[in-house]
Amino acid sequence: MNDKGAILPAENGVEAAVVGWLKEALNKKVFDALLMPVQVPAGDSFAYLLLQNPALLENGSPLPPVMPVQGARAISRLTMRGNGSKRIAAVVRPCEARAAIELTKLEQAHLDNLWLITVDCPGVLPLSDYLDDPAAGAARFVEASQHWDRAPMRPVCQICHRFSMPASDLHVGTLGSADGAVFVIPGSPKGERVLESMDMPVDAALDDWAAQVKEMEEAQTERRQQAHADLRAGIAGPDGLLDVFSDCINCHNCQRVCPVCYCRQCYFESAALKLPPENYLTRSKRKGALRFPPDTLLFHIGRASHMILSCVSCGACEDACPMSIPVAQVFSLLADRAQETFGYVAGKSLDDPLPLVAYEMDEFHQVEQPYVEIYHKREVQDA
Amino acid sequence: MSDEQEFEPRIIYFLCSWCGSGGGETAAAHHLHYPENVRPSRVNCTGALPAVHIIRPLIEGADGVVISGCYPGDCHYNDGNFRARRRVALVKSILDTLGLEPERVWFRYVAHGEGQRFVDTATEFNDHIKKLGPNPLKTRSDT
Repeated sequence: MNDKGAILPAENGVEAAVVGWLKEALNKKVFDALLMPVQVPAGDSFAYLLLQNPALLENGSPLPPVMPVQGARAISRLTMRGNGSKRIAAVVRPCEARAAIELTKLEQAHLDNLWLITVDCPGVLPLSDYLDDPAAGAARFVEASQHWDRAPMRPVCQICHRFSMPASDLHVGTLGSADGAVFVIPGSPKGERVLESMDMPVDAALDDWAAQVKEMEEAQTERRQQAHADLRAGIAGPDGLLDVFSDCINCHNCQRVCPVCYCRQCYFESAALKLPPENYLTRSKRKGALRFPPDTLLFHIGRASHMILSCVSCGACEDACPMSIPVAQVFSLLADRAQETFGYVAGKSLDDPLPLVAYEMDEFHQVEQPYVEIYHKREVQDA
Repeated sequence: MSDEQEFEPRIIYFLCSWCGSGGGETAAAHHLHYPENVRPSRVNCTGALPAVHIIRPLIEGADGVVISGCYPGDCHYNDGNFRARRRVALVKSILDTLGLEPERVWFRYVAHGEGQRFVDTATEFNDHIKKLGPNPLKTRSDT
């Protein structure tokens, strides 16, 4: 991370400043295209557009009040088949940038010709809250984000501690900047070149920004740990866990919207779990009864085993859940603990190898069951 | 089932086809006995055993899952056992977070010639699970 940033005047607010800056970049041909959230014509939602005409930027919104589509999914669809010939700037939230980095490691996205641009993120509203009244929702979001009040935001946004600069190429720092200006912070040589070609000198000290980010990060980390401890006390054990997940209606929306669930064929929708009636009858006999469709808990725990090491706690799953199951909160708890086990932070850097791809010879001896002496008990019994 | 003596656990023993299963063969050649409720299941390599296949039996009626592959450095595919070790660490982390008794999963290397160690592992794990008691998930119909 750079300790100096460029100053971007923002008299009319952060959104207008960033949009104006991107428009200039597009006009100067620094970027050939922009991928960013734009308000839909109906005015009640936001969608990612791949923009090439600067005139269409008017409704662009770097910080929309909701996250209807996880930006990493947009980036992945755009660059899955390789780097494009044009330079694309993708304006996403920090969690979306981190998911894009995970997808790049999973070879589902290519970032060589794509610039990740992020903004200090106040969180987003729950999709259902916003859709009840989009105008009021937007006003509530603006009001809350000005004071960095996360109370109206989604539960995972309330406990987000990675709201600031991820490994993005350019980051817009809004915390700690003087009134009427924001920082544009280069995070990579690619990002520095952009600022250079736009004649934006990288000479402003970032001490205030860094100090405020650190302070907020610490407060949020504490909040997160507390929330996770409370959550775990509620769900730990078969009873608590099934109380939460037995509301599930097997729609698999959480899997479909998850940015890091990219498999072409999901195991949980595959023929491997579509079995002859005898199988279900046997299982039903063993348990006394079998819930249908079966394998609900297996879907959630199994999906966790597939994706929590790359989970960025973006909350897309919880927004998509029609039954209001706290999926994102449970998965953020699972993800934090599993990633801690592997000393890995999803989306932190393109250079850290995925935990299940890399290994060390000398590690995890705690999972190897020690065998110290010959276990005699059975032989004694048999004799 | 409240009496420990009456409880006969169901145990799935995943064995890799090169070392773990070989341990079983050696045990057979030496006429060594292991508990009959331990059901061996051969997989090509413990590194090829998905986490889901460790979790699924625990939901569907097993009381414990034990996994044996080659010693470090002996894997037929060079690094399968190192990958398996990471995956077991992941499964244990998930089970621990969800309060689902990670101690119901064991991972222990067994070499081809170690019939005694294979039998000991099956026996010791069986006794360990008997002490733990039945897996509460296996009687839940709402999974």
